[in-house]
Amino acid sequence: MDQTASPALLQGTLELLILHALQRGPMHGYAIAQTIHLLSDEVLKVEEGSLYPALHRLEINGAISAKWGLSENNRKARYYRITVKGRKTIATQQETWARLSGAVNRVLAR
Amino acid sequence: MRRLIRKLIRRRHLEQDLEAELAFHEEMAAASGNEIRLGNRARVKEEARDVWRWSAVENAWRDLIHAARRLCRTPGFTIAAVLTLALAIGANAAIFTMVHRVVLNPLPYPDSDRLIDLDHGATRINVPAGMGIKTGLYFYYQDRARTLDSIAIFAIGSATVSGRGEPEQIRITRTTPTLAQVLRVPPALGRWFTPEESEPGSPQVAVLSHGLWLRRYGGDSGLIGNTVTLNGMATEVIGIMPPDYAFPDPGIDMWLPASVTRATGLGLWVYRGVARLREGVTVDQARAELNTLLRDVPQAFPNDPLARATGPEFGVLSTARILKETIIGGVAGALWILLAAVGIVLLVACLNVANLFLVRAETRRQEMTVRHALGAGAGAIARLLFAESALLSLSGGLLGLILAWSAVRLLVSASPATLPRLEEVRLDGVVAAFTFLLSGLAACSFGSMPLLRGGLFTEFHDTGRRMTATRGQHYARHVLMGAQVALALVLLVSSGLMVKSFQKLRAIDPGFNPASTLTFAVGLPPRDYPTKEAALAAHRRILDSIATVPGVSHVSSTTCLPFDGPCFSNGIMVEGREGAVVETNLGNTSFRAVEGGYFQAMGIPLIRGRAIERSDVERSEPVAVVNQRFVDLVFPNGDPIGQRVSWTLPAAKEGESPKYTWLTIVGIVRNTPTRTLRETSVVPHLYMPLSMTGRFDAPTWEYIGPRIATLNYVVRTSAISEGLLSSIRRAFNAVNSNLALAQVSTLEERLARTSAGLTFNMVLLTIAAAVALLLGLVGIYAVVSYIVSQRTSEIGVRLALGAAPRSVTAMIVGQSGLVMLAGIGAGLAVTLGTGRLMESLLYGVSPRDPVVLAGMTFLLVIVAVVACWLPARRAARVSPVQALHAN
Repeated sequence: MDQTASPALLQGTLELLILHALQRGPMHGYAIAQTIHLLSDEVLKVEEGSLYPALHRLEINGAISAKWGLSENNRKARYYRITVKGRKTIATQQETWARLSGAVNRVLAR
Repeated sequence: MRRLIRKLIRRRHLEQDLEAELAFHEEMAAASGNEIRLGNRARVKEEARDVWRWSAVENAWRDLIHAARRLCRTPGFTIAAVLTLALAIGANAAIFTMVHRVVLNPLPYPDSDRLIDLDHGATRINVPAGMGIKTGLYFYYQDRARTLDSIAIFAIGSATVSGRGEPEQIRITRTTPTLAQVLRVPPALGRWFTPEESEPGSPQVAVLSHGLWLRRYGGDSGLIGNTVTLNGMATEVIGIMPPDYAFPDPGIDMWLPASVTRATGLGLWVYRGVARLREGVTVDQARAELNTLLRDVPQAFPNDPLARATGPEFGVLSTARILKETIIGGVAGALWILLAAVGIVLLVACLNVANLFLVRAETRRQEMTVRHALGAGAGAIARLLFAESALLSLSGGLLGLILAWSAVRLLVSASPATLPRLEEVRLDGVVAAFTFLLSGLAACSFGSMPLLRGGLFTEFHDTGRRMTATRGQHYARHVLMGAQVALALVLLVSSGLMVKSFQKLRAIDPGFNPASTLTFAVGLPPRDYPTKEAALAAHRRILDSIATVPGVSHVSSTTCLPFDGPCFSNGIMVEGREGAVVETNLGNTSFRAVEGGYFQAMGIPLIRGRAIERSDVERSEPVAVVNQRFVDLVFPNGDPIGQRVSWTLPAAKEGESPKYTWLTIVGIVRNTPTRTLRETSVVPHLYMPLSMTGRFDAPTWEYIGPRIATLNYVVRTSAISEGLLSSIRRAFNAVNSNLALAQVSTLEERLARTSAGLTFNMVLLTIAAAVALLLGLVGIYAVVSYIVSQRTSEIGVRLALGAAPRSVTAMIVGQSGLVMLAGIGAGLAVTLGTGRLMESLLYGVSPRDPVVLAGMTFLLVIVAVVACWLPARRAARVSPVQALHAN
């Protein structure tokens, strides 16, 4: 894995990605990191250092909720689930992101 | 809120949860052999914790700690600011305590907003209000008024209590038993009196005040059921009232049943009334109903000789009003004005602190710029400044509350006796809340100053050396300075008006000579002196005995002294004019019975005719001396000397015509005040020989003419000496050692007491004005000093280019002078605009008095110019070289 291929995520982008990943259903932190990693064709790598603060922030804001449960290998794990508020957030954020990335691309294309 | 609670609960589990979660993560990562690194677990935890941090509170706490540290580093600034604020906030808290406890707080009776003062006026005889009520109306209203739940009438008097210690003159209230239903306050011990106990001829019972019970009987609960000696009569104590029961005023020591019967008929206006409105009835509705009832009085009392005088013919109408209004009276206005005055002082203080803050913000511009450059947002910096101002004003508020506590005690002890409800004045939770609210407002006012002024920090390059300050910086300071000048002027003018009122009041000729004259009251117990003759003889012996005391030049006695009110008043009949109701153009005349030589002892000048002599008293001569007002009202076009007058008198029996005792007018004396020096209408007085009075041993409802059981002595001396009172006491004891001297005071003290309210307002307003002036002086000095210090380089250049130091001084003073002119203009505008509010406190002075306005403006200009000139001169004296090297 090439370091340059794993860019630092912009503030807020990680939260969008987490919410997006959670749309597939409740999952624990490790699974979220893995999902983002796989969905980005192994370009994006989420470090725990940013993942957990981001998860907690989302929880405080009420975009996701958390509950302890059993993992696939029968371990205790904290499962995160997207809330109604979270779904609303993702809709608006997706739009914002589309506009932002489009704008950045346009700038870079000139 | 829910989130906050969730946060609180979550926070406790956070540490364990995070630990478990991270452990799981690592395990999973390790199991999958994935590359995702462990990372620095401590850092991860730290960051996650940051997310959960209770940010607002914790940040605020951190800011406060930080602010405290920084304030400690500049103790001079901190102490100056905290003390200024503490003084101003303390003054506000103290005056607010008075306003809150005296004006705003309800009276200490259940549902006290339903209590009304059952007062009457008579428009046709120019008595707008204050006549009180008569027994006939009490029963009449009780029978017919549907708006009133219960009614009580009462009369204040005095009595001598003896046995168990020294005899003592106490103030008593005789009242109907219904007072308990009206006020709804039961005795703390024992019981209140029953209707049977108030019937004439029943054994006398009394309810004691808590104060008298403690003072005289040591709080002995065994006193209930025992007898005390009152005016020589055995009186059973049946109850003790609670400590805060003070009806109608705190000076009352005993409540006795008033002998009120329907047999009296209408009676005279000798009582005061209090009533409780029925639920849901307003005082206006009650007044309307009572006025309707009053129209029918002549029909309801067809044979009563006073029926016409109590009905529409005299324009008698109900002036019922909420009891609280009667009790606090005109004091509310004065207290609000005082609160406004200390409010202005607080504003001036805040302006001063704001100015200090501005200076501080200026010197810290560099620090703020660095903070900003290092990533502190404007919000964080503003928060820091707010934390400082909050800390300052909270400490100021706390210290102010302590100051207020002692100030309130001082105020209460210094307050004039005329200020009602003083016994209720104390600091309470509302005052504390008010104080902290004030502190908060103060914090916001000066905390936001540097923000409003724009730019806490500048861009980095701007912090270098500058030759001149920018215009914007001085603008804010000039506004502060102008506002201080304006506010100080408002207070100066109001205190000036008060001082002038005081002078005017003191300049009034009271109509008697108050110099070195002692007065006191003596009551003779009826048991020892059962007849009028016996009492008069005893008084005469006392008088003669006092006359032998060295230094005493004149001694006499009277039933009523100036400032004691009308004491006993009634309408006047003129012989030959019996048919005509003379009262229609005349308020009631105050009847006073005097010993011989009274006018000499009092120093009341005789205008015409002769005075009442000792021989008149000895021979019971039917003569009278009247005051000038009496002449003006009763004999506007004729010679009063030789005319015979009498009082309106009910017939002894129904159907008979009343028997008038005619008094021949032999002299005219100067008017003397009845209640206060500032009387709007002077009361007509009629003086008669002491021996001409009605039977003093008659029941209250029968006698007419003043009561002589208690007499006021007037002892004129060459000079009041230390031993005088004890010599007088010895003279007394020679006659009867069981007599009590009451209300001992000099005529000068009596005179001073009537202006005590005005003096109190004057002193407080003058203190407020002086503080505002001082703070303003300091403020102007500080602003000009600062501006000058910022302009040192500019001044240096000017001096180097040849400007004379004097012209530099003049320039600086001139620039500040413009600001001050604007301030004075604003202050004068406010003063003229709000002057009418002050009117009720003033005497003989217009709120726009040009002398006061000009004088105070002049004083302020002098002070302001000095405050500008001092720093300006210092600046102009620096050597140009030094100035250019400054900064």
